[in-house]
Amino acid sequence: MSLVIRKYIPQLIVSVIIVLSVTFYYIYINDSIAKGFSTADKALSDWAVIVTSFALIVGGVDILRFHLTKIRREGIRQAPFSTVTIALLIIMVVLATIGWYYSYADPKAGITITTQPQFRWLYSNLYAPADSAMYSILVFYIASASYRAFRVRNPPALLLLVTAVIVMLGNTTIGGLIWPGFLGLRDWIMTVPNTAAFRPITIGAGLGTIILGLRLLTWREISWMGRRD
Amino acid sequence: MKAAKSLAAILAILLVIAIISSAAWFLKIQLYNPKTPLSGFLVLVGLLAAGYYFMSEARAGATFPVRRIPAFDAIEEAVARSVEMGRPVHMTFGYGTISSSMAPQYIAGLGVLSHVARMCGKYGAKLIATLGVPEAIATTEEIVREGYYSAGRPELFDPAYNVRYFTDQQFAYASAVQATLIRENVGANIVVGPFYAESLIFMEAGNMVNAFQIAGTARETQVPFFVLVADYSFIGEEIFAAGALASGDKETLASIRGQDIGKLLVIVLTVIGIIMLLGGFKLADYLNWVWKVG
Repeated sequence: MSLVIRKYIPQLIVSVIIVLSVTFYYIYINDSIAKGFSTADKALSDWAVIVTSFALIVGGVDILRFHLTKIRREGIRQAPFSTVTIALLIIMVVLATIGWYYSYADPKAGITITTQPQFRWLYSNLYAPADSAMYSILVFYIASASYRAFRVRNPPALLLLVTAVIVMLGNTTIGGLIWPGFLGLRDWIMTVPNTAAFRPITIGAGLGTIILGLRLLTWREISWMGRRD
Repeated sequence: MKAAKSLAAILAILLVIAIISSAAWFLKIQLYNPKTPLSGFLVLVGLLAAGYYFMSEARAGATFPVRRIPAFDAIEEAVARSVEMGRPVHMTFGYGTISSSMAPQYIAGLGVLSHVARMCGKYGAKLIATLGVPEAIATTEEIVREGYYSAGRPELFDPAYNVRYFTDQQFAYASAVQATLIRENVGANIVVGPFYAESLIFMEAGNMVNAFQIAGTARETQVPFFVLVADYSFIGEEIFAAGALASGDKETLASIRGQDIGKLLVIVLTVIGIIMLLGGFKLADYLNWVWKVG
């Protein structure tokens, strides 16, 4: 019974959904059937979103477990960081619950989960700036990675450096002042060699996905289920 | 004999599809979606048939040479090196969810995780699997547990240490992974799956601690970052093949032949397209043909 629940039923669900998805996408017959397929296809997507939304509860519990274990094992050294994380997690959940309550208790007030004043304040003034700061760090990482990548160690590295310099000059105003042709050269590099290099990766990914689908359909791909027994 | 039976079954299915399609055409039934080129459906069916044929050949005993993927082979080296240095192994499989178009890459990432976990079990390495998607927590725990248990090292499995879900917010996840890489001083940083802007953050953080880095994604915009920064990289579809290589199952490995047939088809179509273009025709016009009755 355990094997049926753990292995066969999930595999059967995956196989059925693959067949249904392909059918919904390619088969038409007439307008009403096509409309029915479209509705069913959307329902499948909605179910996936609903199932993954429930996983967020598991995620919240997992964060609590992780940080409580960290505090227990590492003591005072870890406590301040984990306490802040747990406290903010609880505060955000409580504020969201208040917003959710008001959205039903007093709909005219216009308060929902995301518009609950304290929730919004914390999101806009604490989370959003931290998120943007993290994103902006990328620029420094791109610079440090480029520095290592553009060291001329062999002919392909020289080619990479020359191409990068042309593209960078083509993207800056000073490049146009030095030589107006940089802009056209940059466009050609981006639309011809760059696109030619990207296309095989995209096509290959598509082919890989089809064969992965075949392995899922024939129950040969089992890594996503965890245990192999 | 078994392979011949499979081939006959595949041909019979293709014949049934052809008969139904022909009948629908003569009866003026709009069988296929008029907004989708039929060539896509034909390629899909053709590749599935080819892949299944090679799988059934393998089931009947045939063996196919499978090209090695250097990044896949380097995983064992990365784990062994980490053990020698007394440092943990880090693995993450990205930010794509199971309910999005990134699901195949997410599954490919789980396949690689499965291999990494078994290698960690074999060499007694500490594995830290970090997550940015909550729906993967249970699966990841199971995969890591399986890796240690199958190697006879159940004492090394500690879910609170091995599996760390941080958040489903992209840059919060990125900062948490970055902090983990540096604080835990990881010896190997393996990132395979769907990645977005956080890819370079992971790579540079791994570089800061001189970790052995293996990376791969089928998202073409992130591939250059991985190729430049990682020691070994899976490029595009190689991450899907890695899952099959990780399984070690010859039937699963044989399916990669189907993938190679697809590549051959693309090369042939490209050459035909160039020749047709020289003659003033566009192959795309024919490939974009849609089934429209009446």
